[in-house]
Amino acid sequence: MSKALINKKNKENISKKILNIFKKKGFNFIDLDILIDTDLLTQRSGEAFKKYALNFKDKSGKEISLRPDLTIATAIQYIESKKKGTEKLSYFGSAFRLNKKRDLNVFDQIGCEIINSKSSPEYLILSTILSVFQKLKKTEIVLNDLGLFQDLINSLNLPQRWKLRLIRHYSRKEYFDELLKRLDTNYDLDNEKIKIDYDRLEELKKMNADKVIGSRTVKEIIERFEKKIKDPRDNFKGSRSVKIIKDFLKLKVPLGKSGNVIKKFVEKNNLKIKNINQTLSKFNNLNKRLGSKQDIIFDAKFGRETQYYTGLAFSICKQNKELARGGEYNNLIKTLGGKQTPAFGAAINLNQLI
Amino acid sequence: MSKIRLGLPSKGRLKDESIRIFASKNLNIKKTSSRNYFFNFEESDNFDGIFLHAREIIERLNDGTLDAGVSGLDLLMELPDEYQNNIKILKKLDFGFADLVVAVPNDWLDVQNIADLEEVSFEFKEKYNRRMRVATKYPKLTEDFLLSRGVTEFKIVGSLGATESYPFTGSAELITDITSTGSTLKENNLRIISDGKILKSSACLFVSKKFKGKELDIFK
Repeated sequence: MSKALINKKNKENISKKILNIFKKKGFNFIDLDILIDTDLLTQRSGEAFKKYALNFKDKSGKEISLRPDLTIATAIQYIESKKKGTEKLSYFGSAFRLNKKRDLNVFDQIGCEIINSKSSPEYLILSTILSVFQKLKKTEIVLNDLGLFQDLINSLNLPQRWKLRLIRHYSRKEYFDELLKRLDTNYDLDNEKIKIDYDRLEELKKMNADKVIGSRTVKEIIERFEKKIKDPRDNFKGSRSVKIIKDFLKLKVPLGKSGNVIKKFVEKNNLKIKNINQTLSKFNNLNKRLGSKQDIIFDAKFGRETQYYTGLAFSICKQNKELARGGEYNNLIKTLGGKQTPAFGAAINLNQLI
Repeated sequence: MSKIRLGLPSKGRLKDESIRIFASKNLNIKKTSSRNYFFNFEESDNFDGIFLHAREIIERLNDGTLDAGVSGLDLLMELPDEYQNNIKILKKLDFGFADLVVAVPNDWLDVQNIADLEEVSFEFKEKYNRRMRVATKYPKLTEDFLLSRGVTEFKIVGSLGATESYPFTGSAELITDITSTGSTLKENNLRIISDGKILKSSACLFVSKKFKGKELDIFK
């Protein structure tokens, strides 16, 4: 038998066992569509995503993509099913992505998702995934809460527009670093142009507020202009905020110590971070339930590259190989056209496991 | 010795200026019928010339059926990176100047620069649950430029012409377009944003990277 065939058989056998574990934990198997409407992907991730997905046009000219991610495929299926209650779903299949050289990479994944849960789903997902790896020794969990970064940014003495910019671009590391450089020097807007616009503002104010110009109403344009003028421009301490952000992203400690380390960081920088107690209590709870059997590391920058993670995110590794990854994605279903729905899931990378 | 296969633009100012630039190097085109696509120079037998569409010249340089040609820098840069691996700029010429720019409706007075556009695009998506549409004849250059400046929430709408009209017909919210004086944009109530220059373009004398001849060194 060829090596590829043996590999395939192995994957099928292992996936059957894993799906059985998921079933015992209450997850129902769903068969996911292999094709996704490209418009849905660009609606979520923008034009940039097209570079990493394998796209085609059908006979009518409609663009379709091979699914680049199984979580997105699950979310789309959930929306189409029009179900409203809590759903515990599991799946098995391939995700297709192009690398920078435009070569196709195929990732065989098996995962589970909890959608619209009324209680905190993180322990159930983590413990379910860990139960698959219980025979493996020396696995390590790396964990973070991406909401903590947002709360940190919101606590800084920065104009609101800068805060939003830093949060929005956190997942794009290169551009985020460029933003930090600009923030460090307080480079922002062209003040001269804003003076000229005051004259035009008076003319606009005389127009019908509901008049639409380039899909935006006159009211909307005036409101944003006035908000922009009031937002501080030059007199904020950008460099201090940059230092705090950089120092925060360096935090990496065992989860059991993360509470004290984060609290010290907050005190040292004289910050008032909203929701910090809830986040630390979530960490504490997970550490109590899982930390005795497992090394868990808090890493403040972990998970940032996955654009749809909104809260807790984790990875399970063994000797630097990532066996599984998951996280909370509370906005994904809405951006794909559904209602605002909390969701949490994880996928095992079968290629690495085998 | 095989002749140099040269492509010149077949129409308009690009054609006239290309002929002038070769004439200035004492290479005058032999008079033939105005419908004849092929030409030779009076002073040299080293060239086999053909008049082609400016975009076609890039394609032929890329596939190796032309050795040299005059075309626009914007046309080369819009094509996939492989084209730039196969084609070399021998000389940037002194005509065909135009900039590819980002333009918004003039009355969007809150949008003065790319940072504003980035913010407005996020707000637009949150409010209308769809991305801002950018009409353009240059999707690749536009996409690369906007993404590199942090504007991620947009959708490209391909345009074949009259791009300036798109924001006022409900087909797009903003545009990118090529402009030499900016007057067409102004006349259509559009404004170039302050740091919205994507590419400074001009006509160029291109050669295929496989071309090793010295005959065109007179342009260097």
